[in-house]
Amino acid sequence: MAASISGYTFSSVCYHSANSNSDHEGFLLGEVRQEETLSISDSQISSSEFLHIVEVHNHEPCAQLFSFYDYAGKVNEENLNRILKDRRKNVIGWYRFRRNTQQQMSFREQVIHKQLTNILGIPDLVFLLFSFISTANSSTHALEYVLFRPNRRYNQRISLSIPNLGNTSQQEYKVSSVPNTSKNYASVIKEHGAEFFDKDGVIKDIRAIFQVYSALQDKVQAVCAEVDQSERVKEKIQEEVKKLKEEISLRKRITAAEERRHQESLNTENHSLQDDSALSDSSSPPSLTRVLLQSPPLEVSLDWPPNSTALPLYPAAPAPPSAILLPRPQAVGSPGHPSPSLGLGNGDGSSSDSLNRQAIGQEDQLEEEEEEEEDEDEDSSEYENLVSERLQSPSLTDTAVSLGRPAALWPDGDTHSSGGSS
Amino acid sequence: MAVSAVHLESDAFLVCMNHALSTEKEEVMGLCIGEVDTNRIVHIHSVIILRRSDKRKDRVEISPEQLSAASTEAEISFNFTHRLAEMTGRPVRVVGWYHSHPHITVWPSHVDVRTQAMYQMMDQGFVGLIFSCFIEDKNTKTGRVLYTCFQSVQAQKGSEYERIEIPIHVVPHEAIGKVCLESAVELPRILCQEEQDTYRRIHSLTHLDPITKIHNGSVFTKNLCSQMSAVSGPLLQWLEDRLEQNKQSIVELQKEKERLIQELASL
Repeated sequence: MAASISGYTFSSVCYHSANSNSDHEGFLLGEVRQEETLSISDSQISSSEFLHIVEVHNHEPCAQLFSFYDYAGKVNEENLNRILKDRRKNVIGWYRFRRNTQQQMSFREQVIHKQLTNILGIPDLVFLLFSFISTANSSTHALEYVLFRPNRRYNQRISLSIPNLGNTSQQEYKVSSVPNTSKNYASVIKEHGAEFFDKDGVIKDIRAIFQVYSALQDKVQAVCAEVDQSERVKEKIQEEVKKLKEEISLRKRITAAEERRHQESLNTENHSLQDDSALSDSSSPPSLTRVLLQSPPLEVSLDWPPNSTALPLYPAAPAPPSAILLPRPQAVGSPGHPSPSLGLGNGDGSSSDSLNRQAIGQEDQLEEEEEEEEDEDEDSSEYENLVSERLQSPSLTDTAVSLGRPAALWPDGDTHSSGGSS
Repeated sequence: MAVSAVHLESDAFLVCMNHALSTEKEEVMGLCIGEVDTNRIVHIHSVIILRRSDKRKDRVEISPEQLSAASTEAEISFNFTHRLAEMTGRPVRVVGWYHSHPHITVWPSHVDVRTQAMYQMMDQGFVGLIFSCFIEDKNTKTGRVLYTCFQSVQAQKGSEYERIEIPIHVVPHEAIGKVCLESAVELPRILCQEEQDTYRRIHSLTHLDPITKIHNGSVFTKNLCSQMSAVSGPLLQWLEDRLEQNKQSIVELQKEKERLIQELASL
């Protein structure tokens, strides 16, 4: 079995993954076809082999985790259909991107995979796992990918190739003709070869193929312009949505603060009254109300500082349900963006400027929520993943050790410890 | 150290990946456009794909003079075409170079380190990026794509140059910038121009017989077809998919915006 994915689709998955703080997942769309290869060997005159070829045409990224399954790993078919819409029939697999983890399917992934196989009715659904590791100083990063065929025995792995230009073979041009003094040869090829040339002595084919190329490039430019426009529109609306959310949380905060102040002023009045009289029951309800009003607003995760508009780093994602709980201490280790714990390489000990600090601050804040969400997601059977996340510092050092080996030892196919490949 | 870290925006990273994955038989090369801030962090907003007049499998450098000329030309055309300076309010310039290592380790070769050292003589803050791809561990069927950032340093006067590692982070950038999109669609054009140049040189040889000319014409046709099916086609497909995804996102975002407006009104 062979599989292929276009370089552009692959890069696009990397791009979406780089943009997300947490794991990233999505669906693989394409087709599976069978190719018959005929071979002749000494024992048989002709034997044909059927080769299954999995071709990934594009991917459908999920905007967030848990969009089609819940914490127990149960797949919700309705949500699935909402995400896939009419592309459901093109699904051939799904993918997941994780950082600093092992190259194995997690328990939840296996559970989800089985359900997807049944719901989508694809017996040979594939699973593409991307895992991302970095050296301790973040100078070198590796993205490893494995395509699994989980419905087969032993969770078979398939080679994923990326078709590309290969050799543009400019060496194939001939700079000289084979010497030939035959007059017949010269006259025949001149007379009949003239078919291929137009009146300017240019090969007709050249013009023809160039026309095809030109038309194609024009179309590429045109669609590119449309994409550009759609990106700007999307950016603008994202910005507006973000501002609205900020506005809403600001209003709620102001209202809460006003209520608090109002209550406090009432309380002071009550207290002065109580001093005069012996009645004291009126104190309990106001303090209860005060406690209620003082609970943090629901959009705590979206309380971005007002001057953050200059940094459109993150999508205005809806707050994960776990954000209401107290935030965990800052998680160590980070996706591909700067984190003070990994060291920005300020060798001379200078501190980052305020802009950077702000960026880091926001990232850490989001990181807290995402890390927190992730750890709550992993149930006890995914202990390995949980452990690897908590022990990010030591594992990165291990990575540094293995990646720091002389070039000859890696990555030439030696299974190194940090990859954790089975 | 002249540079403390490199922040590569994810849409520029996308274009680098596209470029690096475009061919496994040759090293490809490009320039990084951006700026350096007061904390010596190099911000890369986009990249420019470079044409190479000498396509060799194992080497990919251009001389510092060529680089300087290419950079100036790139900056002038870049700024003019995209009015980037206007958009960001700051001048942007060439801050580094990247190239690919297909089937090879991600670490820079001695030639790469020396080339980087030469570039650094013109600009201390110049950084080098390398993308290693088309690597597969046959035993575990694990594929790998790696990227690294480095500069060169001379341990002592007169001694060999050494690589120093520079931290690099890919910074999220939700939407793909106009500049990045335009760089991405330049690739088929550059490939075609390279092919045309080669063909023109061959075509100008007058002593070729008709059969050889027809042969060469076919080679050109074959190569252009290769480019269209391996690059232009997939590129167009990706653009169309992206457009579709964006349209859907816009519809969903509009709904959310309306919902939020109503919520705000009710407060």
